[in-house]
Amino acid sequence: MDNRENHVSIELQESASAEPVPDLLKLITSNEVVVFDTIMPESETSVPSNGHQRKFSISISMPSSPTGAASAGTKNVLDVEDNGKGFNDSSSVEAPSKPKPKGDKFLSQPMPKGSVFGEAAPNIKKLKDKRFNSFKTWSGRLERQLSNLRGRQESESESEEESTQNLGREAFPVDRYFNALEGPELETLRASEEIVLPDDKTWPFLLRYPISSFGICLGVSSQAVMWKTLATATSTKFLHISLTVNLILWWISIALVAAVSSVYLTKVVLYLEAVRREYYHPIRVNFFFAPWIVLLFLALGVPPSVATTLPVALWYVLMTPFLFLELKIYGQWMLGDQRRLSKVANPTNHLSVVGNFVGALLGASMGLKEGPIFFFAVGLAHYTVLFVTLNQRLPTNETLPKDLHPVFFLFVAAPSVASMAWANIQGSFDYGSRITYFIALFLYFSLAVRVNFFRGFKFSLAWWAYTFPMTSAAIASMRYSSAVTSVLTQTLSVILSVVATLTVTALLVTTIVHAFVLRDLFPNDIAIAISDRKPKPQNR
Amino acid sequence: MAAVVTSHAELQLVVDTPAVDSGGVAVDRIQCSSCLISTILTKLHAGYFRVSLSLGGQALLWKTLRGPTDDTHTLRQTLHLFHPTAFTVLWCFSFFALVLLSVLYLLRCLLHFKMVKEEFFHHVGVNYLFAPSISWLLLLQSAPFFTPENHYSYVVLWWVFSVLPIVVLDVKIYGQWFTKGKKFLSAVANPTSQLSVIGNLVGAQAAANMGWKESAIGFFSLGMVHYLVLFVTLYQRLSGTDRLPSMLRPVFFLFFAAPSMASLAWQSIAGSFDTTSKLLFFLSLFLFMSLVCRPTLFKRSMRRFSVAWWAYSFPLSMLALASMEYAEEVKGDIPHLIMLLLLAFSVLVSICLVVFTLLNSKIQLLSVCFDPISSFVSRAKCFTAHQNEQPSQTV
Repeated sequence: MDNRENHVSIELQESASAEPVPDLLKLITSNEVVVFDTIMPESETSVPSNGHQRKFSISISMPSSPTGAASAGTKNVLDVEDNGKGFNDSSSVEAPSKPKPKGDKFLSQPMPKGSVFGEAAPNIKKLKDKRFNSFKTWSGRLERQLSNLRGRQESESESEEESTQNLGREAFPVDRYFNALEGPELETLRASEEIVLPDDKTWPFLLRYPISSFGICLGVSSQAVMWKTLATATSTKFLHISLTVNLILWWISIALVAAVSSVYLTKVVLYLEAVRREYYHPIRVNFFFAPWIVLLFLALGVPPSVATTLPVALWYVLMTPFLFLELKIYGQWMLGDQRRLSKVANPTNHLSVVGNFVGALLGASMGLKEGPIFFFAVGLAHYTVLFVTLNQRLPTNETLPKDLHPVFFLFVAAPSVASMAWANIQGSFDYGSRITYFIALFLYFSLAVRVNFFRGFKFSLAWWAYTFPMTSAAIASMRYSSAVTSVLTQTLSVILSVVATLTVTALLVTTIVHAFVLRDLFPNDIAIAISDRKPKPQNR
Repeated sequence: MAAVVTSHAELQLVVDTPAVDSGGVAVDRIQCSSCLISTILTKLHAGYFRVSLSLGGQALLWKTLRGPTDDTHTLRQTLHLFHPTAFTVLWCFSFFALVLLSVLYLLRCLLHFKMVKEEFFHHVGVNYLFAPSISWLLLLQSAPFFTPENHYSYVVLWWVFSVLPIVVLDVKIYGQWFTKGKKFLSAVANPTSQLSVIGNLVGAQAAANMGWKESAIGFFSLGMVHYLVLFVTLYQRLSGTDRLPSMLRPVFFLFFAAPSMASLAWQSIAGSFDTTSKLLFFLSLFLFMSLVCRPTLFKRSMRRFSVAWWAYSFPLSMLALASMEYAEEVKGDIPHLIMLLLLAFSVLVSICLVVFTLLNSKIQLLSVCFDPISSFVSRAKCFTAHQNEQPSQTV
């Protein structure tokens, strides 16, 4: 019954207005389909609560949808309101903006708030804000508290707060991401899917700020390490590179890390829900390892003029949260049900594994013995598993891109860092290190000769993360050529360093172009805004 | 095999059915004790060797603890004062338990060979056929009066328990992994498959202790190669569900038993706890932490006592043993602290298991089917027995 009404409403609406069907309606029909019982524990949502999808589906099927169409100018205010996710506040704000029979709209609705009708014209600005409330921490209550503290008075009534529900506290099933998104970084929305946030407006900056921004820090900090090695390694001393380059790059990295971390921390504080959704994204979750890797690189690349030896406690401080994170993620691979490795394996998982080797490298260079071996062991075991899984390209694995993509460069990262770590642990660049180094070299070349295929991809900030394997390979080559000095090895290390630097420069230029000229460095982050219900296929 | 295709829900039903009418069965018991023996024979399966595995592991642990050591740390010296008689008692207790189980299992082979064959064809049961060999090897190594170098009998026993059963089973099972149609590794892999790896590694350690380096390396490489394959397969979890009923979750502890055993075996081969052993030990420690951080995984299996609970003890003993060797190699406070914690944990778990088993033994004698593998393997008979209140079964 609801279906039919929805169908009716949609047809009506389509005829009523030229505007595209608001996302809301599509979402509403999807509410009929209870697909994931993991998502909605039917919480004891009171009637005013917006968290309960079914209530809304019923209300939405009201023939008031033509009004929805008419008010499509306020776009997706509707969807916000009725979305099962609990965008509650919007209902209060959309009403006034709608031209006329808002009354119809909410007749059958279990009224979330009586304030809907009584709303004076709220300004459009607040209207916009409310749409993103469900993504905010505690659905906007924190923000309100903060702004209240600052002295700004909110005109919204308290009733909005009651109906605020946090979007699914329960885990977002990974299948949802696979079904809704596609592409090598799982960024592009499939044609049949809709998102819960308005597509045509630019979202708040924080919502558009993905965790893959830490990739920039990765790229730059690994460059700092590379230039330090260039200046200090015995095999490249003939180049007479000064340590100033390392110093400059290091300070730039520090600044970048500070900037990116503070922005992302703000996002964590204000938009916790968006951060959660990134955590459940099968590709983005690996970037949660990136901050720790960056800090480790910074410690590795510290210029001698700043500090010659670092305190050992620093290593423990850096590796402890890393240990907890990997206990969680690796455990999911092995013991979890929906996030098991055969299903979610993708090249970005290398970021989860390479951190072990970077930590081992740092610890061994600080003089520790047992801790580095611990992380090396863990990294080696899990790298073996990951390597085999990715090379198998299992048919059950949906995330592997069919074509080459810069993400494949991450394959080179783990063996190159592992070879350096093992060299530091053993004290010299022995057979184990050489074996892993040659593996890294082979992978690098097999990708480099296919560089023609790396075309036609949309630039994203995550590409910075893919430069650090090239840099690591260059550093490993320098270490190797220090052990086995010959013209060939020295040439190789110089060439690799040059390639790495050129790539980073090209990326820098592209980033600047996107940031200031094209102004689309931070597009709407579709990947986190997918709905938790598959939309019902419409006869459109 | 009906049991294999049975859904888990059905299995749970059978397992959770309480021991019915103990009164009626008790009457029967009074009437014919031979029926009881028969019941035991039908109910016994290779999974019961977990008990002897655990006891053997504990015996080996305590023997190493008491044995000569270079470790001068106060902690180790204190533990050195463990009374020798207590250890002998422990060893004798394990020995008798193992003899009893072996005899019963032998009888089962003779009288109910069909059931043993069923076990062999089951993807979980087949791995426990390694358990008797492993237990005997552990006891051999921990025997208080045997020293490997001197006794010819040690060699003979090693051959009897190690080469023959383990190699034969190896050839059969590992060969099946990549050749036989329905028994591909990707179809049958489950955490208990690591028992085959552990069998090879224990054989390697025993051989190395005897001084037979080449056999030791042979067994070690055999075990490690298959461990690599198995580790990757188990991590990938291709088949989706675990193919393991939740009552058997304790066998997940085998995940860290295999690397611990490998680290100990490599130590015997190489002569000292070198970097390879350390790598394996750390891997095992990490897997242990992973599992211990997830207690909800085992919640379901802890509701009722079953012989699967004994699967907790052996891996812990092996990990404690490896940590002991590690602490001896890397002198320091933290390794000794880890050793103490693991030691305490393994002893505690073993004692609890013994207590629980004794408490439940009464029910065990009387109940029809209360452990998962038995019902898993012979569900129909179990259920029928339940219905008919017939303690005696004939194949």
